[in-house]
Amino acid sequence: MANLRGLQEGIVNSQIWKSVFRVGIPNTNRKRVLAVLGSLILHLHPVKVRRSGVRMSYTWCMGGTSFFLFLVETVTGLLLMFYYRPTIEYAFTDIMDLREQAPFGIMREMHRWGAHAMVIAVWLHMFRVFMTGSYKPPREFNWNVGVILLVLTLLLSFTGYLLPWDQLAIWAITVGSSMARASPGAGNEGPMSGLVKLGDIRLIHAGDDARFALIGGRSIGAATLLRFYVLHCVVIPLAAGFLMAIHFWRVRKDGGISGPL
Amino acid sequence: MTFIKDFVNVLSAGSISFLLLTSIFALIIFFNLMNGRIRSAGGFAFIGFGLLMFLAGIFVPPLLYLGVAYFLILFVLARLGGRLWDTKIGLWLFVFGALAFGLSMLDPNFFLIAAKPDNVPIVAMIFLLGFFTWLALRKAYLNDTQLVVGGIPWEKTESDEKLFTWPDLVYTEMLCMILLTIVMIVWSVVLRAPLEEAANPTSSPNPAKAPWYFLGLQEMLVYFDPWLAGVVLPTLIIVGLMAIPYIDTNPRGNGYYSFRERKWEISVFLYGFLVLWSFLIITGTFLRGPNWNFFGPYEYWDPNKLVPLVNVDLSELMWVKVLGTSLPKLWIIREIFGLALIGAYLGLPPVMAVGPFRRFYMKMGAARYYVGAYLFLIMMSLPIKMVLRWLFNLKYILHIQEIFFNV
Amino acid sequence: MSDEITPYQMVPKTPLAGSAAADIREQGEITRRSFPVVLTAAWVALAAALGGMSAVLLRFLFPNVLFEPVQKFKAGLPSDYSVGEVDERWKDKYGIWIVRTEEVVYALITVCTHLGCTPNWLPTQNKFKCPCHGSGYYKSGINFEGPTPRPLERAKIFIDIADGQIVVDKSKQFHQERGEWTDPEAFIKL
Repeated sequence: MANLRGLQEGIVNSQIWKSVFRVGIPNTNRKRVLAVLGSLILHLHPVKVRRSGVRMSYTWCMGGTSFFLFLVETVTGLLLMFYYRPTIEYAFTDIMDLREQAPFGIMREMHRWGAHAMVIAVWLHMFRVFMTGSYKPPREFNWNVGVILLVLTLLLSFTGYLLPWDQLAIWAITVGSSMARASPGAGNEGPMSGLVKLGDIRLIHAGDDARFALIGGRSIGAATLLRFYVLHCVVIPLAAGFLMAIHFWRVRKDGGISGPL
Repeated sequence: MTFIKDFVNVLSAGSISFLLLTSIFALIIFFNLMNGRIRSAGGFAFIGFGLLMFLAGIFVPPLLYLGVAYFLILFVLARLGGRLWDTKIGLWLFVFGALAFGLSMLDPNFFLIAAKPDNVPIVAMIFLLGFFTWLALRKAYLNDTQLVVGGIPWEKTESDEKLFTWPDLVYTEMLCMILLTIVMIVWSVVLRAPLEEAANPTSSPNPAKAPWYFLGLQEMLVYFDPWLAGVVLPTLIIVGLMAIPYIDTNPRGNGYYSFRERKWEISVFLYGFLVLWSFLIITGTFLRGPNWNFFGPYEYWDPNKLVPLVNVDLSELMWVKVLGTSLPKLWIIREIFGLALIGAYLGLPPVMAVGPFRRFYMKMGAARYYVGAYLFLIMMSLPIKMVLRWLFNLKYILHIQEIFFNV
Repeated sequence: MSDEITPYQMVPKTPLAGSAAADIREQGEITRRSFPVVLTAAWVALAAALGGMSAVLLRFLFPNVLFEPVQKFKAGLPSDYSVGEVDERWKDKYGIWIVRTEEVVYALITVCTHLGCTPNWLPTQNKFKCPCHGSGYYKSGINFEGPTPRPLERAKIFIDIADGQIVVDKSKQFHQERGEWTDPEAFIKL
């Protein structure tokens, strides 16, 4: 035991350790403050929090769960990208490869289940925030950021749904994206779209309407797969990451983890 | 056993389960959150409503089933009252739910659908939603009992007490992360992600379903055209959610659970979130089978099930069936009833503003009042259209094919 | 002292005498009166620039060339099709049903007008039935059940005079509800 204790002391007092963790073991109040303030990751939190902010029965921990699942999705998604090619020739076979041959072949599983879990977690988070009235002033703006993040979560999951390029995928996206055809004034079957005419020629048709922009063609095909891949892996995660930064920042600025104000 | 299964099958039919859920919603608010009694005007109204269902059941047998279930639930809830939020009762409810689910899993048809890998998260979601709704309302009820006697909500009693982030919060987060990691790994090892055969654009599977979180929208498509169900309503859901903090000017209930201080807000939100959104997702996932026909939870998904679809438009109903003439040619005359109906519906807020809702109007101001009222009306158009469909086989209230404008 | 000052020695209005700002003032003075105009012009310019850039971005999402399957194909002779039947031989490859009746031949596009699934032809029930949401169509393509708001679309169809074969061109569609099925290109009269 004495040797172990000595080893621990040696490590903690070494120059390397001290260069990384300047405060040392946070065993006094002063060190606890410094540990949070001095760390980029921990200083997401204030130094002190309301008691209710720590109670699981109050917060349900759903915001944190959503964020953690976002990180899980990021890591597993990056790993999947090493194997996956977004073309109609390879997409399905690459998924088969991931499923049958890739070492520790549960990355795809974790990515998919994590996505489902994240949608549920985000809903429950919104539910809790509503039930505690935490959208009320001064948190109106942050509630709005949260709503956009909720929409982005759904879009992330929706764009990812197409990527395996199996029957489940393309029909779900066919049905889902067909609704864009019906956008009023922007889809070729939407109300009022038929009124946008130049003489006898309809200006809004299957080749230039809202659905066309979404799927990059008149029907679900190679262009759609590529489009959804880029949206799924780059565009939406970046947007969500940016909004999350604002969301967390505003949690701090608007009075900390919610509780009675 | 078969009797119970048949009973549940009948009850879960879209129309019946929707009505049942809506009534349970109202019952819980009255008996369990507001401490209503059976021997009161409200209680008698609820009983009268149930008797009405029985009466209607003479003509429409499924309503008889509904009536039985309704009264059973009414008496249980009324008897429990505030005790519904006791931990012991909550535990019993959970055991009951888990037992019902476990026994149902013995049914091969039920098992086939509930155990589908992509449906597992939704099964989990049902339990999570149930638990968290119960938990939130329990906390609200406990706080309410304090607030009624002039106390302060439980959260406020300790709001001045502050803890150090290190170690209290950091450790909680750490534990959550470890727990979640374990859950994710076990889940991923036990359950394989679904993969069907390679995409084939020429053969649609039967049924073809959108991703599960959009099944509420897909279910709405049964009642509305795509431009409403797929574009306008989803947009308005988002807009509506974002508008909540600006419409709701009630300063109370900020940062703690409470029902009495925010009756209207919570009722509307819970109805939209649980009954309209989540319930429709659950229906779309578990109860919609081949050809998008409706199947009870213990029913076999028979692709050849024949369901006569004889939906008629309001114009046809009024001109042909009621007035006994043929449809007028000009659409503006043909659709005059639909236009009048929708005009009257959308004309409600200004009329109410000078009438019964004058108090709201004065308190909220014109902008808040109208935005809130119209968002609410549009939300309620869904259950209204559903009920119209079930009662009159109504397809469209307004059917102007000339400009693709169907409501 | 003040009366000694001559106009060309005028004291500058601001301390910025000789600076760039003063030059601007002398060349094109922004007065209280012209300020709103300048401000409006600046905002309009900014909005136009941003709007233009957004338009460019948006336009970029609409490709000029589509790499999609061919839209036009030869479908054999009219006599290859039996009267009164829905022919499914082109369904998988081109997404077309060819229907021959006593008088006419027409081509139906195999896309459900509800949400874009592919309906199935059920010969026993004599109807097209969409598996996704249960929309049903008669053999003519007219909808009669389910949530779909309108009939199936017909594709342009004509006889190639050179070899007498049917040619189907999917790039031109005919909508019944717009009264386009009476168009001579929407069917072949036998």
